[in-house]
Amino acid sequence: MLAFTQGSAAAFTELFHRYKQPIYGFFSRRLADPATAEELTQETFFALLRAASRYEPRALFRTYLYAIGFKILRAHRRKAAFRAAFLGYRNSLPDPSKADSNESALWVRRAVEKLDPLDREIVMLREFEQLSYAEIADLLHLPLNTVRSRLFRARTALRELLDPSTAAASSEAQKASPAKVSQSAVAPGARKGFRL
Amino acid sequence: MSSSTHPVAPGEVMALLDGELRVDRSLFVSAHIADCSECDKTTDSVRNVSTSLAKWTVPNMPVSIEDKVLRSLSHIKNLRTNEFLSGLRRLLSLQAVLVSGAGLVILWVFFGLNSGRHYRVASKIAAERDLPVDNAAPMASSPTSRATLSERGRNPITGRDNADSQYYVHKIPFQAQPGYAQLETQQPPMIARTVLLSIVVKDFDAARASLDAILARHNGYAASLNVSTLQGSARTLQASLRIPAPQLAAALSESKALGRLENETQNGEEVTQQHADLLARLKNSRETEGRLQDVLRTRTGKVKDVLEVEQELARVRGEIEQIEAEQKTLEHRVEFATIDLKLAEEYKAQLNTPAPSVLMQLRNAAVNGFRSAFESLLALVLFLAESGPSLLLWLALLGIPGWRVWKRYRRAQSMRSPAAAYGRLLDSGRGQPSIPQSRRPKLPGFGITILLVRMPPGQPCNFARFPELLPKNVGAAASSCGIL
Repeated sequence: MLAFTQGSAAAFTELFHRYKQPIYGFFSRRLADPATAEELTQETFFALLRAASRYEPRALFRTYLYAIGFKILRAHRRKAAFRAAFLGYRNSLPDPSKADSNESALWVRRAVEKLDPLDREIVMLREFEQLSYAEIADLLHLPLNTVRSRLFRARTALRELLDPSTAAASSEAQKASPAKVSQSAVAPGARKGFRL
Repeated sequence: MSSSTHPVAPGEVMALLDGELRVDRSLFVSAHIADCSECDKTTDSVRNVSTSLAKWTVPNMPVSIEDKVLRSLSHIKNLRTNEFLSGLRRLLSLQAVLVSGAGLVILWVFFGLNSGRHYRVASKIAAERDLPVDNAAPMASSPTSRATLSERGRNPITGRDNADSQYYVHKIPFQAQPGYAQLETQQPPMIARTVLLSIVVKDFDAARASLDAILARHNGYAASLNVSTLQGSARTLQASLRIPAPQLAAALSESKALGRLENETQNGEEVTQQHADLLARLKNSRETEGRLQDVLRTRTGKVKDVLEVEQELARVRGEIEQIEAEQKTLEHRVEFATIDLKLAEEYKAQLNTPAPSVLMQLRNAAVNGFRSAFESLLALVLFLAESGPSLLLWLALLGIPGWRVWKRYRRAQSMRSPAAAYGRLLDSGRGQPSIPQSRRPKLPGFGITILLVRMPPGQPCNFARFPELLPKNVGAAASSCGIL
């Protein structure tokens, strides 16, 4: 990135080839519409180009790039919410069965969607983007221990959601006491210090 | 499983799998997992979740996005080049202003403070050396300066006593004088000298030859020279002479020796600061030119940007050439003093002027008369041709109505006058005028009126029909006479 800020076009090309697929996956897993994911991927790299002159290597480039992606994703969700609230537009959600060709992926996606937004982001950043705990904490502005505990909680919830036997046991346990997963799903995004 | 009953928290097991534990703790947790079945299950659980999540794959990014992003790379580069150019312009302009301002302040402080002192020191030392005071102090020829001259010597050029010229003083060793070292270390002031001389000579031709010799001797030249030879008047010569400044005093002395000096004016304009300003501007412009050339060599961009830089470079080059020309002109003004010389010959009236003959005078007078008559006629025609339409227009617009109003007024006045009444009386057919129509008397409106009216037999003269004819007293008198 430093080489690119000094005018090397080859450096940017290398960065783009290295991170194009992770960024595209980042948006694809968080958005239902593949076209929107493509558009936001493109916008992320444009923002990187525009902001290259102001780049300061205070963190890993990967963190910097995902921070740009998060900002763009947040802006997109804000606009979508505005359009849905005031203009009556609704995102035309494509059929998940068409978006995800295999059944396992569809099953995983639906399980992830049931998680608390913050837990979901943490587990997705860890599992798909392969970010370290410190990077996740830096990106989401959370303490490191919070990241670790939430990640463990999200993984436990996912295990219950993905394993039918565990899910049956869990449903029996829910009858006795409210489940943690459902509690989290009731109040999405209500956690302090984080908005998606 | 809790930390109170279990030495390793489940989060640590997960962190171990994620590689987020410290090395010492990793060894401990690993050893514990090997012995603890519960933690082993936790490990399997985390691995299973990761394996399940790994099934959520996304397709490869479309190639179209890659093309768009890489194409935009060149566009962004151009944008950055434009930002660089605009920033460079701002920097150059800001830097030029700051450098120029700082240079001016420094020069003003340096030369402004030192010029007065330097001027006084130069005057003093020049007075003490055998130097022309004119070169150091323009006002040295003033009475005050002359009063300070202790001793006068001889002019080394003209050989005349300096008591006449008042410009040269006796030499005194100058090394012993304080302030000379300071003078030597400072840059001498640049003074553009201008002298105005008005000299009357007896022999114009000889003076002209001497003037040429003076120019040749002192390596000068005539920037302009005009000789006027009019019939019946003295010959005059007006010239602008350029003499090298060090030889100005000698050239002046020799010029004054040409004849009788009528007027002399000397001016000295110090142009040191102007010269320093020009040098500073020249330096800045050259630095700007160098930077622009570096930009052209090192930076690549669109053709438009290159053309803009080249245009800026051409403008800076033009500015440099202009400043260099001004600098040369200024230095030339300092190196070459200017003598505006007016040389007039003493007029001698010609005794043998041939007088014109009488016939010639008559002929000239006739020709002049015809010419003046023709010119006046032509002037009148031209005036009418030029102003006639306008005059006619305004005459028609204003004159005709005015004339009609005037006529109406006169008619009204005449109807009310006694003479009019008298006329109407005569025209009524009842009386015959005693005098013809054209010779009717003008009856005043006042005084005594005598009417001689011859009436037909049996016809009374009825003045009562014309009361305005007779004033009250006249009417009474006529009635008393039995006329009515």
